[in-house]
Amino acid sequence: MQPIARDMIRVTALTRTYGSFNALDAVDLSVAQGEFVTLLGPSGSGKSTLLNLISGMIEPTSGKIEIDGRDATNQPTNQRGLGMVFQNYALMPHMTVFENVAFPLQVRKVPKSEIETRVRDVLRLIQLEHVADRKPKQLSGGQQQRISLARCIVYRPSIILMDEPLGALDKKLREDMQLEIKRLHAELGITMIYVTHDQEEALAMSDRIVLMRKGRIEQQGRPEELYFRPDTLFTADFLGSSNLLMGTIDVSARTLQTAYGNLPLPATRPGEPKSGDGVLMIRPESVRLFSETAPETWSGLQATVRDSIVLGSFVRHFLELPGGKRVIVQEPSGASLSRPERGSTVRVAWGPQDARLLRTDPDFQNL
Amino acid sequence: MSETKPYLDRWAGLALLLPMAALLAIFFVYPLARTVWQSFYEYGFTLRAYETLLSSTLFWKVLKTTFAISFTATIVALLAGYPVALHLSRLPPQRRMPYLVMVMLPFWTSILVKSFALIVLLGYDGIVNNALSFVFGSPIHIPMVFNRVGAILGMVNYLLPFMILSILSSLLTQDVNLGRAAEVMGASRFTIFRRITLPLSMPGVLAGVLISFTLSIGMYITPALLGGRQDMMMANLIDFYTRQTLDWPLASAIAVVLLLVSGVLVAMLGQVRGAGGMKEMAR
Repeated sequence: MQPIARDMIRVTALTRTYGSFNALDAVDLSVAQGEFVTLLGPSGSGKSTLLNLISGMIEPTSGKIEIDGRDATNQPTNQRGLGMVFQNYALMPHMTVFENVAFPLQVRKVPKSEIETRVRDVLRLIQLEHVADRKPKQLSGGQQQRISLARCIVYRPSIILMDEPLGALDKKLREDMQLEIKRLHAELGITMIYVTHDQEEALAMSDRIVLMRKGRIEQQGRPEELYFRPDTLFTADFLGSSNLLMGTIDVSARTLQTAYGNLPLPATRPGEPKSGDGVLMIRPESVRLFSETAPETWSGLQATVRDSIVLGSFVRHFLELPGGKRVIVQEPSGASLSRPERGSTVRVAWGPQDARLLRTDPDFQNL
Repeated sequence: MSETKPYLDRWAGLALLLPMAALLAIFFVYPLARTVWQSFYEYGFTLRAYETLLSSTLFWKVLKTTFAISFTATIVALLAGYPVALHLSRLPPQRRMPYLVMVMLPFWTSILVKSFALIVLLGYDGIVNNALSFVFGSPIHIPMVFNRVGAILGMVNYLLPFMILSILSSLLTQDVNLGRAAEVMGASRFTIFRRITLPLSMPGVLAGVLISFTLSIGMYITPALLGGRQDMMMANLIDFYTRQTLDWPLASAIAVVLLLVSGVLVAMLGQVRGAGGMKEMAR
């Protein structure tokens, strides 16, 4: 664990309403110095609203925003000392790359000679020194976004906000840029708040993911926490794929009575449903296929193989339980892989500790 | 993209253009050619009209007046129109609509009606002078029509929609995130305007200026009705030679000169518009 650093950002009961619509609903969030926090969520979940409230581009209906210990709730945007990277780069088209990066320094009335060295230094840092005299439109999307990053770094803001910065780039470039941003974050130690709707990106980059839903924080934690230990169906569903089996909790036997049989439940945890309906979530990579019998302590179900596809480094099996319920199983692939035949019957099983009991949710009816 | 077969073939397309082309040929190209012809032909080819013109002090004086008035009217329209365009560009689209209609309204009003309305407003005993007299309690008669001020005000009134719309269209192509990005970087509103908004709107400003100037140098009714004796412009001079002295070759020669000047300006406008790079960059 990292040592506990001071909070660079603290928002308290932050709310923004549009008419009767709560774009952001009493959200509390702290971001520590040097932390990389991702606001993740579907469109309309409030992640961009929260980012724009922090930047000052929209005003809160109520609540408080503190930046680096001072109250910034009503501070104008241009005095908050932030940096921001936009999805469409927002580079000034009439200025050269050099002029773009120099702009924030000129605004800060940095002496001309110092501007020259600082701009050159930061362009060297992102390895784009050679394009200093070009116009942004002459560069590729990835280069433009690196320039826009450089334009932030050059004036050393304590916090950089990023609003879907890689959304306009293709997959390969996106992965390169993810590494580049992580590298700069590690080298410079700048606090970063990153907005995305791409769960893979969030998992790959963040120290902490804040998953948002309907203007509230659904769950937050380290990527592996959110992925393997979701507290809600929404979290389980939003991050990665999952197998969800609905049933009724049998408290005395500690099983879930489902249409496919009684499934043993994992060890109790705080916050899980105690009785009534519940949903058992198992990640595809936690499920194993067995041609005959599974280990005794494991939950097991009969299933029919519908399809089996190789996705390079892993293989994904699509199975069907009696009654038509679909189950996905994911296994590492290899040269000696033998795929089960389509239509054959197999046993699927998982260790009880790999399953997670979740509450039902009105937004997830057809499981 | 693969080549697709056009909906109309080449000849069908040309056939559809024929009525319009014929109309323009009869009522536009032919008279224009006649005018050019007339400026060179008096019982045989001659340059008499142009020689007279170039040695006429009246022509040079009117040319100077035309450029001075047009230039002033264009600058006034620019200074008055830019803030309006800037304000309109910052309104949400549904709130911008009613204001746009107000900007466009003069377009749909006859220039004669507008000119007489301005006389009623700005005249010796006009509404403005009466209001000023009332406020200050003594008779005030600021001369605002039948002089250069009147001519310029009338022209500005006519030019404003052109100016506002071309600046507005250029402001609207600007990415709103540019201003936001600059604001986050610490720039003040004034810096954002000076370093970003204004330079990026220059294609629109240039287009507006060229359109306004081109329209101005050909103006006829407005300076005739609202201007003074000293404010004769090129079109009025053509009128003078056509109807008073009946020297049609000379009138034609002036028209040709005016056409050439306008032609150059329109070509420059094409350059500004054609600088698609600028527009593309403002995106």
